[in-house]
Amino acid sequence: MGHHHVSSSAMFFNVLVALLILTGITVGTSRIDFGAANMMIAMAIASVKASLVMAFFMHLKWDTAINKIIFLSSFLFLSLLFIFTFADHATRRMDTQWHVTKAPVDKQWVHPSQLVGK
Amino acid sequence: MTTNVPAVDVHGAAAEARPKNFINWSSGFMSWAGTLDHKRIGLMYLVGVSIAFLCGGLFALLVRLHLWEPNGALFSNAQYNQIFTLHGAFMVFIFVIPAIPGSLGNIILPLMLGAKDVALPRLNLLSFYLWLTGAVLATLAIVLGGFDTGWTFYTPYSLYTNQAVVTIGLAVFVLGFSSIFTGLNFIVTTHKLRAPGMTWFRMPLFVWALYATSLLQVLATPVLGITVLLVAFERLYHIGIFDPRLGGDPVLFEHFFWFYSHPAVYIMVLPAFGIISELVSVHSRKPLFGYKLIAFSSLAIAIISFLVWGHHMFTSGQSTYAMFAFSFLTFFVAIPTAIKEFSWVATVWKGSIALNSPMLYTLAFLVIFAIGGLTGVILGALNVDIHLHDTYFVVAHFHYVMMGSIALAFFAGVHHWWPKMFGVIYNETLAKIACGIIFIGFNTTFIPQFIMGSRGMPRRYATYVPEYAPFHQASTIGVIILAVGIALMVYYLVASLFQRKKAMENQWGGVTLEWLAPTPPPLENFNEPPVVTNEVYDYSTLDLQTMRTPVK
Amino acid sequence: MSHDGHHSVVIPAPGPEFQAHTVAHHFDTPVQEFQSAKLGFWLFLATEILLFGGLFAAYFYFHEVYPETFRLGGQQLSWKLGALNTSVLLLSSWTMAMGVRCAQTSQKSKLLMYCGLTVLGAAIFMVIKFIEYKAKNDHGLVVFSELFSPYNEATGQLAWFKDYHNAMVDKAGVPLPHGHLFFAIYLTMTAIHGLHVVIGAGLILWVMKGAAKGRFHAGYYLPVDLVGLYWHLVDLIWIFLFPLLYLVP
Repeated sequence: MGHHHVSSSAMFFNVLVALLILTGITVGTSRIDFGAANMMIAMAIASVKASLVMAFFMHLKWDTAINKIIFLSSFLFLSLLFIFTFADHATRRMDTQWHVTKAPVDKQWVHPSQLVGK
Repeated sequence: MTTNVPAVDVHGAAAEARPKNFINWSSGFMSWAGTLDHKRIGLMYLVGVSIAFLCGGLFALLVRLHLWEPNGALFSNAQYNQIFTLHGAFMVFIFVIPAIPGSLGNIILPLMLGAKDVALPRLNLLSFYLWLTGAVLATLAIVLGGFDTGWTFYTPYSLYTNQAVVTIGLAVFVLGFSSIFTGLNFIVTTHKLRAPGMTWFRMPLFVWALYATSLLQVLATPVLGITVLLVAFERLYHIGIFDPRLGGDPVLFEHFFWFYSHPAVYIMVLPAFGIISELVSVHSRKPLFGYKLIAFSSLAIAIISFLVWGHHMFTSGQSTYAMFAFSFLTFFVAIPTAIKEFSWVATVWKGSIALNSPMLYTLAFLVIFAIGGLTGVILGALNVDIHLHDTYFVVAHFHYVMMGSIALAFFAGVHHWWPKMFGVIYNETLAKIACGIIFIGFNTTFIPQFIMGSRGMPRRYATYVPEYAPFHQASTIGVIILAVGIALMVYYLVASLFQRKKAMENQWGGVTLEWLAPTPPPLENFNEPPVVTNEVYDYSTLDLQTMRTPVK
Repeated sequence: MSHDGHHSVVIPAPGPEFQAHTVAHHFDTPVQEFQSAKLGFWLFLATEILLFGGLFAAYFYFHEVYPETFRLGGQQLSWKLGALNTSVLLLSSWTMAMGVRCAQTSQKSKLLMYCGLTVLGAAIFMVIKFIEYKAKNDHGLVVFSELFSPYNEATGQLAWFKDYHNAMVDKAGVPLPHGHLFFAIYLTMTAIHGLHVVIGAGLILWVMKGAAKGRFHAGYYLPVDLVGLYWHLVDLIWIFLFPLLYLVP
């Protein structure tokens, strides 16, 4: 079947050791409070671990360009979901004075299930 | 690329030596139910989505008949809610999304690429059965009490309503994976199974459009899958993330839902664009104006479609700043879309136009889509949308796109490739009449909806104030005309299969590879593996001999 | 499907204990078949990322809205068991990678051994998961027997969230807002992940069945490769789940 890359056992073992050490570091850093950076640090370490798995265990390092693009673009498109959703949430409270209506509410809110069948 | 059909060989052969094609090479239930042939799977899709379309159409007819009177003519309000939901869910999930890729895409894409089949035939069959399962589950949900949430399943109502939401959610999940697998298959096929010489810029634009569609199917649909799953979990064990009673946020549901469902609009419309690109060229006998622009605009639409979903949520309570961004980004969709429309018109200009029935449907599309697209720009404007949101203006807009453009392009494609698929030609006179009736019926249905929508008639209501009655009644008359046109179309298409009036080997004079395969194509499509040496849409290579040769 | 007389491409077996592989009829070369399947599988893995992505988005969203609930909720999980399970999964990912390597080098018995170890890893992972779930059940944080009981509209109380030991309260003893949310998301994410673990283990068992017959060797190891990729994806997702759920930052 030609040119497929066969990785050495030693390389796989080194990656495993690195992953286990990074797991230890994940636990270790979680004991220390870095404030707002906590999440960033945890996700950075996890990303390094994930990159190791992808590059070596999943052979992505030696795979075709199109396969790399496809898999990595899934993270890119996922980030769009994250960015816009969180942008909405983060700015939702900033603008209440813009569209709060001062008109009196004349009807009481009714649970939707009570409207069915009427 | 020009393979002359060896017409001489056949004259000496006995009658039963008629070459076997993909329809008659084997028979029996299992030869269809277990087939891995892309054309047979496509044909099964074609039958399936057509039935779904007729069901959805029937529900639409019921909705419109009910709205003949301000207080509703036929149903209770609760029944009305169920019927418009059925109309939406059937049309969106079971018809429009799989219609063109599943049927015409499956049959034509490998032929256009010069391949023997799609890359993953088993997955293709699985995709069809997932579609069938989804359709059965959706029908089951009707039996289990129906569902009245609208096709969007908005929380929190979908969490409170005492109906078969979990069943229909499961149906949507399964249909989603059917769609994903079709898209996945087409991407792999386009990358790996192109004939020798078929470079990316020699691919027909239908293939480009399906490729862009497939990217959307693969990248957007999983989010819908997890969203409906979460709604099902909410109903089963109350996670609480979409339920405000439990600290959840219904707007988060809308983000998740529209992250898929806005790109889904382009999953629906991009294949339609692809069909129109083919047809304007073939029936004008002219290379496409702006081939590369159309190809890239499909990809541009696919990418931009991921950035605009918030324009469905302008009145949902999302942040004003997010609305600015989404409204602004929405206008960018208009650019690649307009590039397409202008390129099609420029292709027709000074072409050698043959007003065959597929071309009539195409011209109808060009008019209707211009209206559908431009009203979309109006709705993309934040301030205007606040006024028009959830009115019949929106209903009319997306029906101009989904029914007027996509379904018409689907009809155009079916008429165009009908002689290729079956080797028979329908009654052209009836086809032209039907096209006219459909065009008139469609516009009569939806132009009044634009007007009453702009005057404030809200969508989804079972009743209305009498002032709107003339518009509603005009709309109902329109839908009856539309139904007559569609019934006529179904009649002559089905009749053509029994009348067996032979089509030509190359009925319309196309030069893309599917017209070089025998008509109807045999099991593995080509007698000789094709090698592409010409640019795409090069009509100087057209073999008039084949055009005049009747199907054997 | 070679009824039309087309010749089929056959990859010969490297030895008597192996089987030859016939390339599917619609492919011209083995490389085309291999690359098509790989491309298709990477696309499928991309859909898995986006599917889990929805859950991660929900996690981050509510982590932002109810930080204290999530912080305290994370403390109710045993980080030791979580770290142990992470290590088990990393080890099993390593054995799977070694298994694929053995398939590539036609080492039949070692392929079977590494696949077996991977399935063992999956089993240990699920047992530890079960122990964790049981602890949550006993503390009333996720009462499994009440999971599908209806929500009490009047009291606003969820049947499956009892919190017997008042773990989810602030310093003054007042229940935190929506304490159940963390556990609902924990349960949903780990259950869907666990389902993937079970499916993955099933696929590896299927690979072992083929490997025992000698179907996989240097000439043809595609199914081993693809199942391996699936298993690594399961690992990949857990790498993010572990710090988010057990060590809530």
